Amino acid sequence: MKRRFVTAVLAAVAAAGVWSTAGAANAQEIQLTGPLKGAPAVRHLRLYRQGRFEIAPAISFSLLDEYRRTILTGARLNYNLTDWLGIGVWGAYGAISTTTDLANKINETAPRYAATAVNVNHTGQYPNFGKASFNDQTARMDWVLAPQLTFTPFRGKLAIFNKIFVDTDFYVSGGVGFVGIEERGPCGGKGQTSCADPSTFALQSSTQVSPTFGVGFSFYPANWWSFGVEYRALPFAWNRSGFDSRGAGTNGNFPDGQINSQDDTFRFNQLITVSASFYLPTMPKISE
Amino acid sequence: MKQARRWLLLATALVLLPQVAYAQRKKKPAPAPSSGTAAAPADADADADQPAGASGTAPAGGDQTGAAATPGGDQGGAGVDICTITPDAPQCTAAKSINLGEEAKKAVRAEIYAVQQQYVIKAHRLELMPYWQFTLNDQFVSHPGPGLALNYYITQVLAAGLNFDWYGGLNQDSDFNFQNRRAAHISVPLNNYQLSGDLNFTYVPMYGKFAGFGDFIFHYDAYIDGGVGLIRTEPIPVIDPSNRKFDWNNLVNFDVGIGFRIFFNRWLAAILEVRDLMYFEKIENPNVATGSTLLPITDQNNPRNPATWYDPNNHFTNDVQLQLGISILLPTSFEYRLPK
Repeated sequence: MKRRFVTAVLAAVAAAGVWSTAGAANAQEIQLTGPLKGAPAVRHLRLYRQGRFEIAPAISFSLLDEYRRTILTGARLNYNLTDWLGIGVWGAYGAISTTTDLANKINETAPRYAATAVNVNHTGQYPNFGKASFNDQTARMDWVLAPQLTFTPFRGKLAIFNKIFVDTDFYVSGGVGFVGIEERGPCGGKGQTSCADPSTFALQSSTQVSPTFGVGFSFYPANWWSFGVEYRALPFAWNRSGFDSRGAGTNGNFPDGQINSQDDTFRFNQLITVSASFYLPTMPKISE
Repeated sequence: MKQARRWLLLATALVLLPQVAYAQRKKKPAPAPSSGTAAAPADADADADQPAGASGTAPAGGDQTGAAATPGGDQGGAGVDICTITPDAPQCTAAKSINLGEEAKKAVRAEIYAVQQQYVIKAHRLELMPYWQFTLNDQFVSHPGPGLALNYYITQVLAAGLNFDWYGGLNQDSDFNFQNRRAAHISVPLNNYQLSGDLNFTYVPMYGKFAGFGDFIFHYDAYIDGGVGLIRTEPIPVIDPSNRKFDWNNLVNFDVGIGFRIFFNRWLAAILEVRDLMYFEKIENPNVATGSTLLPITDQNNPRNPATWYDPNNHFTNDVQLQLGISILLPTSFEYRLPK
């Protein structure tokens, strides 16, 4: 009985010691004092996005185009659930479309004869081919609609010439892009018109579904508006030239006299966007 | 043997009991004296770096000196006055010399910069910048390669330097070029690069800092640069490859760039720069002399006459590069001229 009592007392003391040790860790944290104790990286942060609607008219320019450049006008609508996460949609319409120097060169110098009849727009039939615009057969981007999430991991401030100071943030967005394009339609297959026929160079509309992602900077001259620049990609495959490039031979790397999906080539379809964003409500919240 | 368990428990208890001392609850602060001549210093959490009277427990008469106050705010859990141990500690001496009334009357420089003290002082430091560059704007032949820049910062915002790029053996003729030739029966003159070098001036108009995930802070700056130099290029014979073989040409180029530098510490940063090398390119003549190769080599009709190989017009060319690399600032340490 006595042994049990001694054992029980010792066990209780040991348990108390263990409990006390755990308590000591808490107490030691409290002992860390000073003005920065437990402080966030930034105090009195202007929460430019949290709980605010964002309406951002935007102009986008396509980059590194092979045959045709597009300038899209549109807008981004976002609701920012938190200061770092927003949900919204970006939509744009291809307002201006111009051809590149390469397209113009092909248009001017490419011979119109039997060997190019499948690939280069022309008039007439063999052997009396005439010149028609190559530019008319190059694909174009008509519109884009992209539901997306926007993630803002970095925010800070920027000094320009040590005189102008603006709040700045960096964001990443991603979503699904629905892209309306016009490209040369299918031809040369069973029951289809021969691709050498001039009528097959007409463009047909279709919708591509692709992932989309972008990164950008926003600059805040005032509480209620900002301006920004964004890089975006809409990666998908399409036939931008209207050429018959693949479908026959080893690995399908040779022309097969048909225009179909095998002639599509993958491309990132990069855009650079400049925008001005307006926020509602007009005053942001301030953090602790 | 049977008692081993008890000895073990006893030993554990003896080892752990002293820890209890660390776990003592904080003592409640003593009530402030009503006389108002002394700050109540008993809060164990008071900031040891703050002078007495500045921690919110100032005497009632705010302009009274703290000389009579019990200096310091940290007495520790045992109630020991730190100023009795180290009377020359900053919080002890400061408390005795500050007259709040006089301090409040002093003129204050109200202008506050967004970034009070630049994270990195670049003036009079050498920047070593190795990078890899990619071609952004040439679908036919890309010219990737390594590069190295050396910049000396004359001031905090202005540097002079050199950069060198190597392309030899790394030029890549694209499939896109082949597809166009095969489909449209046209040939586009192409050029390889060997190397380029430029004398540049760099200007740093922008700097700032970012908070990442609201948790950590990193610093960055943005710069523009520009200069003049030399680029060596060579046409790839695609129009008449059987008769033409080109040599390297030395061409004058101008370059402008805009870059972004993210600092890991005060001497190491990651860089991302877009640079445009502009020059007048000598390209292959799309027209081939139609005479016999048996004609004298200087004959304008001989397709082997080198004088007929080049297009008579030079073509303005932009080589837009994306450069990714690191920036190393030497010496690796520096001292600020003024305190923070």
